[in-house]
Amino acid sequence: MTNTTITKQEIRFKLKSSSEYGQASFASIVSLLLAVVFLLNSYSPAEGSFKPAVLAVSIVYFFFTLLQFATWYLIRKNLVEGGEIKRSTRAIGYVLMLSLLSANVFVAATAFQLVKRKKNAFYTLAAYAFITTLLVFAVSALNVFKPYVADNFIIGMLLLIAAAVIQLASLLLVAKYGDRDVLPRWMGIIALLLILTAVSGNLFALGLGLLLFSKLRDKDYTSGSKLGEVVEKLSRSSTSMLGLMFILFLLTISITSYLTFDYGLAIENNYSSILQPPSLVQPLGTDNFGRDLFSRIVFGARISLIVGLLSTLIPVVIGGALGAISGYYGRQTDNIIMRALDILYAIPGFLLAIAIIAAFGASTVNLIIALSVGAIPTYARTMRANVLLVSTLEYVQAARAFGSSDRTILFKHIVPNSLAPMIVKSTLTIGTAVISTSSLSYLGLGVEPHIPEWGNILKLGSAYLETHAFTAIYPGLAIIALVLSFNFLGDGLRDALDPKLD
Amino acid sequence: MIGQATTTGGGMAERIAAVYRKMLLHPTYRLLLLLTGAPVSVIVYIFYQYRRSAQGYRGVIDHTRNELLQSGYRDKVLAEAKDQLQRKHRFFGNTVSDKQIEAEASRIADQKFEDQLNERLQAKLSSHNGTQYSFGDTFQQLIQQPLFFVISLIIGFPMYLLMAVYANPYLKYIMERLIMAVFVIFGVAFVVFTILYISPMNPATNILGETATAEQIAAFNHLYGLDQPYLTQLWNTIKGILTFDLGKSFAGNELVSTAIANKFPVTLTLTVISTLIAVLIALPIGIISATRPNSFFDYTFMFIALLGLSIPNFWQGLIFILNFSIKLSWLPATYNPANWLSAIMPIVVLGTGLTAAVARMTRSSTLEVIHEDYITTAKAKGLARRNVLWKHAVGNALIPIITVIGLQFGAMLGGAAVTEKVFNISGIGSYIVDKQFIPDIPAIMGGVVYTAITISIVNVIVDLLYAFFDPRIRSKMKQY
Repeated sequence: MTNTTITKQEIRFKLKSSSEYGQASFASIVSLLLAVVFLLNSYSPAEGSFKPAVLAVSIVYFFFTLLQFATWYLIRKNLVEGGEIKRSTRAIGYVLMLSLLSANVFVAATAFQLVKRKKNAFYTLAAYAFITTLLVFAVSALNVFKPYVADNFIIGMLLLIAAAVIQLASLLLVAKYGDRDVLPRWMGIIALLLILTAVSGNLFALGLGLLLFSKLRDKDYTSGSKLGEVVEKLSRSSTSMLGLMFILFLLTISITSYLTFDYGLAIENNYSSILQPPSLVQPLGTDNFGRDLFSRIVFGARISLIVGLLSTLIPVVIGGALGAISGYYGRQTDNIIMRALDILYAIPGFLLAIAIIAAFGASTVNLIIALSVGAIPTYARTMRANVLLVSTLEYVQAARAFGSSDRTILFKHIVPNSLAPMIVKSTLTIGTAVISTSSLSYLGLGVEPHIPEWGNILKLGSAYLETHAFTAIYPGLAIIALVLSFNFLGDGLRDALDPKLD
Repeated sequence: MIGQATTTGGGMAERIAAVYRKMLLHPTYRLLLLLTGAPVSVIVYIFYQYRRSAQGYRGVIDHTRNELLQSGYRDKVLAEAKDQLQRKHRFFGNTVSDKQIEAEASRIADQKFEDQLNERLQAKLSSHNGTQYSFGDTFQQLIQQPLFFVISLIIGFPMYLLMAVYANPYLKYIMERLIMAVFVIFGVAFVVFTILYISPMNPATNILGETATAEQIAAFNHLYGLDQPYLTQLWNTIKGILTFDLGKSFAGNELVSTAIANKFPVTLTLTVISTLIAVLIALPIGIISATRPNSFFDYTFMFIALLGLSIPNFWQGLIFILNFSIKLSWLPATYNPANWLSAIMPIVVLGTGLTAAVARMTRSSTLEVIHEDYITTAKAKGLARRNVLWKHAVGNALIPIITVIGLQFGAMLGGAAVTEKVFNISGIGSYIVDKQFIPDIPAIMGGVVYTAITISIVNVIVDLLYAFFDPRIRSKMKQY
């Protein structure tokens, strides 16, 4: 009669407020899907038999999926009955971590979140930094099956191991000391080492190092840094963290590939191994010139990331500046700038890019310029709307009353406070830029054809669609994964930065 | 009877004069008004000047000015301004020379003096003989004379047309939007032409080959007018776009307009069909997702939508061809206008991005609307769930969705080149891509500009749709 009966609504609230429950359900479903995909791929209808290697992978995935489902059920039971997750349930997380060995990052990332009861931004960043470095190490290690490796392969791998050790150590230390109000002073050394490992491109480590430094410096006087807040909010959604992880994984592997990958395998023709199916030596097979698709896709990540980032950064800066000036000064300035940008806005970005490339020729630099020009108006509009909103706030009036110049007000007070929507928008449009890059390359209008860019690889592969479909499928999957990651990250950032939800 | 006629006539004249006066306040409309009604403006101006001098306007001004100056008003204002400036600079710790302060103070003082002068003048004139003398007043006085009204109607007809447009908020909005669209279209033509003009590529050598002599190249350039100065070429191109005559393409010796007229409908048909289907699929999905937020259904559909946004069109096309044409042999791999089955895959591929974007937008905008107070009121009133959703929520959620559809339609039309290449469709996109290697300037110009014009027209329609769907925009329109 009293409060022994729990209503359905209460259960729903309990489940929804537990981040582990949501993550567990997400991980089990994705892991199940992957296991099914592997199972389907292991069966070759032509021979009516299973490929043992792929089948083994599928079985491992099924095993961890089952375990994950069981954990999910236990979490649910614990939450409904006791209101919190028991220690024994959390301990299963250590077993689930082993799924990292099968490259099942979905289950592994969830496991890292499950084992710790009180999570903070430090722990999340440390866990993701460690997983990223391990993945990069594992992917780079596939090179040992090749007939020869890059000159600096050993050095590169040793450096990666060193980075992984530092990150693992910091993960353990952060798990132990991260909750304290004041961190021990020697954490500064760890932070410094972490920032050093970030040279590999692992920005999780950079973020963690900076966060540690800021916490060391502020000695519990303030409520914490803005970065930490954003990370904490972002880490509530597993999809956006996984998206960020994939982006940083590609960034890290693009940087470390200077040491661990041999560019020759990606660009030199090898007529003795044309259109080979995937094997240990060529994990994704070879193309019609006998070049290793795996190396080509790894090197292609570099181009895709650079073009995607630059062709977003340039319009953000130019469009942002124009929009800010237009929104702040208003009247004739606004009219002239926005009417001029309306003209650019009327031409579809893709057509404008084709026209610019038609006029100046196909090359990577022209491609970046062409994609940037078309994107300027959208950013200008977003920035203008924000600046119009922020300009009316009290602190801007206060700054004006203190006699600040227009430039100071605009760039010190207004612009920093109108950046959040720009960040969200740019994250969401990097994905579009990546798609446009590969689409233009596919049409022969983008990156020069001899450079292993994903669109170029796909263009070559599309000629062998009937006989060797994998040459077109793998680069496409890479593009989708990258774009999807940026979209997930953008969605997560929007939720994390949206002031309306505060 | 007669009296009634004059009063209605007077009311009419008053209304016209009110519109006239309101238009005079707006700089652009003032210019347009005075220009379109130039003969009327001249007559009104003559009367205006005449009346002013007849009533000793200048004399009054001079008198008032002297009066003010003698009362020492200016010196007082100047001293005040100087004092304020000095205090201000002392507060901010600025060191400013006396000369600068002097100059600034006298500027402020002049401003204040003029204001005061005008104020007094107004007071004096209105007390003097009850009327102020502005240009608009003169017009009002004149228009009340039937003779002037009739004459002005004949000689200043365009002006009255303009005033009629201005007086009706909807008509004004539509006209302004149309004029913007025309401006944008000319701008697009200018931008695209300039990009192609400053191109370092040389179509002559690309077509005639590396071995072409200087005379051959000169003859080629002369034939296509490439040796003319920039402005002449720009003028010819804009004229060509307006008259649908862009001349012959460099390669193939075909009329660009004919080629575009043959290819454009293909692309347009495919994109329009695919937009319609996409909207029909996306709206229900978005609405259902919004009514059950964070459910399994919602997550699945939104994940699929995000996936749809992330798939490159050409890859999706290739995978479709691989599965449905090569492996299953259900659908033909290349497009053929005579076979509607062959249009299925291109339509699906083209529509994927739009479906995804519209579904996401529908979900977020419906979710936002569902949490508004008036929905709570509607529920509290005891309306059925279905009624609340369809009558109150969806209608208001439609505005941002229409925006997204308009934007995505433009992007789809612009990005159709890729899909057309994959399915071997001879549409406008693949035409532009084929022509860009030369570069065939008239063909690219035509393709890009006509596509941009189509998109501009769609955007105008979208903007007008807003005005008719959203009462909030309508009431805002009436106010300005």
